[in-house]
Amino acid sequence: MARSGLRILALVTDGFGGSGGIAQYNRDFLSALARCDRVGDVIVLPRLSSRSVGALPNGVQQLRAVENRLAYSVAALWTAIKHQPFDLVFCGHLFMAPLAAIIARALRAPLWVQVHGIEAWCEPSGLKRRSVESATIITSVSRYTRRRLLEWVGIEPARVKVLPNTVDPQYQPGPKPAYLLERHAAGGKKVLVTVSRLDNSEQYKGHDRVIRTLPGVLSQHPDTIYLIVGDGDDRPRLESLAVECGVAKNVQFTGLVPPQELPDYFRVADVFVMPSMGEGFGIVFLQAMATGVRVIAGNRDGSRDPLCDGTLGTLVDPENCEDLASAILAALDNPAHTGDRANRFKPDLFREHLNALNQCFSVQNGGALAALPSPERAVSVSGAFSSFRNDQQCQ
Amino acid sequence: MCGIAGIYAYHYAANAIDRAELRRIRDHMVARGPDGVGDWYSQDERVGLGHCRLTIIDLSERGAQPMMSANGKLAVTFNGEIYNYRQLRASLETRGHVFRTQTDTEVLLHLYAEKGEEMVHDLRGMFAFGLWDADKRALLLARDPYGIKPLYYADDGWTLRFASQVKALLAAGKVSRCPEPAGWVGFCLFGSVPEPFTTYQEIRALPAGSTLWVDRVGPHETRQYFSIADTYCRAEAASSPINDEDQQHDARDALLDSVRHHLVADVPVGAFLSSGIDSGALVGLMRDAGQRDIQTVTVAFEEFRGRSEDEAPLAAEIAERYGTRHTTRIVTEEEFWNDLPRILAAMDQPTIDGLNTWFVSKAARELGLKVAISGLGGDELFGGYPSFRDVPLWVRTLALPGRIPGLGEVTRFLLTGVFAQSLNPKATGLLKYGGSFAGAYFLRRGLFMPWELQAVIGAEIARLGLRRLGPIRHIETVLKPRPKTSFGKVAVLESSMYMRNQLLRDTDWASMAHSLEVRVPLVDVKLLSQLASITARNGSRSKHLLANSPRTPLPLKVVERPKTGFTTPIQSWLQRDNRIQEWRKVPSLAANKCAWARRWAFQVSAAIAAA
Repeated sequence: MARSGLRILALVTDGFGGSGGIAQYNRDFLSALARCDRVGDVIVLPRLSSRSVGALPNGVQQLRAVENRLAYSVAALWTAIKHQPFDLVFCGHLFMAPLAAIIARALRAPLWVQVHGIEAWCEPSGLKRRSVESATIITSVSRYTRRRLLEWVGIEPARVKVLPNTVDPQYQPGPKPAYLLERHAAGGKKVLVTVSRLDNSEQYKGHDRVIRTLPGVLSQHPDTIYLIVGDGDDRPRLESLAVECGVAKNVQFTGLVPPQELPDYFRVADVFVMPSMGEGFGIVFLQAMATGVRVIAGNRDGSRDPLCDGTLGTLVDPENCEDLASAILAALDNPAHTGDRANRFKPDLFREHLNALNQCFSVQNGGALAALPSPERAVSVSGAFSSFRNDQQCQ
Repeated sequence: MCGIAGIYAYHYAANAIDRAELRRIRDHMVARGPDGVGDWYSQDERVGLGHCRLTIIDLSERGAQPMMSANGKLAVTFNGEIYNYRQLRASLETRGHVFRTQTDTEVLLHLYAEKGEEMVHDLRGMFAFGLWDADKRALLLARDPYGIKPLYYADDGWTLRFASQVKALLAAGKVSRCPEPAGWVGFCLFGSVPEPFTTYQEIRALPAGSTLWVDRVGPHETRQYFSIADTYCRAEAASSPINDEDQQHDARDALLDSVRHHLVADVPVGAFLSSGIDSGALVGLMRDAGQRDIQTVTVAFEEFRGRSEDEAPLAAEIAERYGTRHTTRIVTEEEFWNDLPRILAAMDQPTIDGLNTWFVSKAARELGLKVAISGLGGDELFGGYPSFRDVPLWVRTLALPGRIPGLGEVTRFLLTGVFAQSLNPKATGLLKYGGSFAGAYFLRRGLFMPWELQAVIGAEIARLGLRRLGPIRHIETVLKPRPKTSFGKVAVLESSMYMRNQLLRDTDWASMAHSLEVRVPLVDVKLLSQLASITARNGSRSKHLLANSPRTPLPLKVVERPKTGFTTPIQSWLQRDNRIQEWRKVPSLAANKCAWARRWAFQVSAAIAAA
């Protein structure tokens, strides 16, 4: 049933039911958005389908995913026409910005673009750039991504805001779970953990750098094991690297783990380490900190944000093996769990901030739009779409 | 006159502010305010304000900053002078406000409490301030209408920092040093960095005549509350006296009023004196305003002695006429080379000018002055520059051919190809740019042309910077709304581009480096609104209005002397000396006909980028 208030069209890659960092962010964002002041319905059109969508938050309606790019564009246009009017178009990924910009323009609605990581670090095609430049507001997950975006985008920096990832309440401190200690024969041992996908085309997460420091770590703590949680086509390379470095016995690949086990994989760790060079933000750092684990991250990318410039964890130069090794050793020598360190990224703060941004940008703009005499508005929106309708009739 | 700084950790995820960081930013500006420092922090450590003070009004400790309102809800850090603060105070007092100090700073607090952000319209003077409103949990930044006092801010998405100087923001190491291509391209095209850009991506200038709110979502967009163009448009629509005598009478009253306001101080106010009408007439008006004891200072060069370029003899004659205590300060080549490293260190943003102000400020400070009056702005207000003649002429001549699509570009391409090194690059662009006011002004003031940038700063920075700056589009924006008269258009361009980005900024860093406050009575909103309709009518013959204003007339030689730019031998010192050589590596700069300003620009950018 339609709620009164602003109507928002959200074009996203992954929505409810998707997996990975971006899917998580979108869910957090859209759930919070639906609870913002003056927001009515949020209609979500995802690109990638998922097996189980689960229960949707009140006010959110998710349409069936459309994977094919062309079909997705048609579906997005059709949704915009069928479900209009909209007061805001949210674009969950830079790659969709041209489509979202066209729709926002036709609807005369403000455009809200979300950027995450590497996709926004280098200048894209002119079409994507101009589409992003037409946004009323851009939110970036981190200060680093914001800065890289501002290198190429021609927009008032005041319109580019940071809205960091948030962390789910299921991540909280707890004892090392016995079933995992048993599964990985980790009882009485020091445990290093990295959680990420293993993507051969990316290779920036830094598993390889951790493996290379292991011989040094083992010389001080011979009972250390390194759990690589996650799967992907980079695994064979990492496996042979572990053999090459003579630490194959100490490196265990868990493969994909069921989502409900993930918090336990953080709890089993003494140190969560991911000296990455390509993080937009790195939600796994938040998850690790929320479970009370010590974290080590690289200092050259979005990872600086979850660690709050080193206040909440240790930042190292990811390419400096000595730095990394001594940070790992220092953390292992001081193994006490630290309690929940991700307090400042809690969902209620995320929601309040999103609400403030929404008030500042889309409500003000939407408000201006809503202030037009209603017949004129109806004409203008339907006028904008008459061309689409005609095109479709011609086809 | 002072240095201001502040940090606001506005984002919920940001670390609380670092007091040591704020002090490092503040202390980098100690030359701006050597008489005292202060800082203030909110209880939750999310906001901090810093200040270094040059005492000029209410020399007591009560005038120390940052200053709080009596109820503790407001805190302000302020740089500048509010010349009408006594009138504002009197009227606030009649409405029940109770004051604790004799400062203009406290007037800001009361005025804000009463009017909020709209207070800026009431202020006459030069100012930049940061004001924390605890009830709103928001920070207001504001800058005077002409941009006499600087204000820069850096927002990283979590925390906003502001300061009077770019280099101060960098001093604590938390602000990104990523270069801003638009700032570098702007410097190469204009000879100074056009606001709001700086040479750093993260650091922006708050534009002249603008305010900026920062609250929990960070900085909002800047809001312009004053426009020079708008003032000229309104003046053109208004009626002005036609009779010469009435015009002169009105002009004298307005000028005397501005000078009188600019003399408000609890320390002696001196004056820079050259051989020109602007500074001379101001000294005459200072006398008319009742100041008996005036210290004047002129900079002269040994090389020019006995030549027409020497300003000293005529300046001395003016000084004698108005009975000032006058000092002629000789600057030698040796002193220049000794000072050069300090000049480059003090230069906040790259610029091709500011050297003269450095030396005259140094001389004034040696004489014990804390405040000096300068004639800056006279040529903008009264149409003294050649651009007032050239720009309209070019536009008239070239408007028609300029409209033929592609002709300008093709001509430039052919001319550059055929005459390669021998033709002035600006000449090749005449047809491309000369047909519009923005374009013609660009040619008149331009240093390098866009197609030369690649060789000077590299292809990638040039490409990104030209796209982001859009030089002609950038110039066009100051012409909104568009004055009808040619005089109005050129006056707006000169005041909003050259004077703002070059003259005023250079005067700020070069004088503050010597802890000297320079006041500019010819750069005043009230004066402009009173004179614009008269000067727009008189065009570039307006200077006589200024010349005839002092009751004791200027020496005839000064009034009748043909207009010359202020020249120095610095150019020839730089040319013949081997100490700086980097420009020789760029072929177009090493060419014989290359103007020295271009070589100097390259030299300056190398020094600033390396710092």
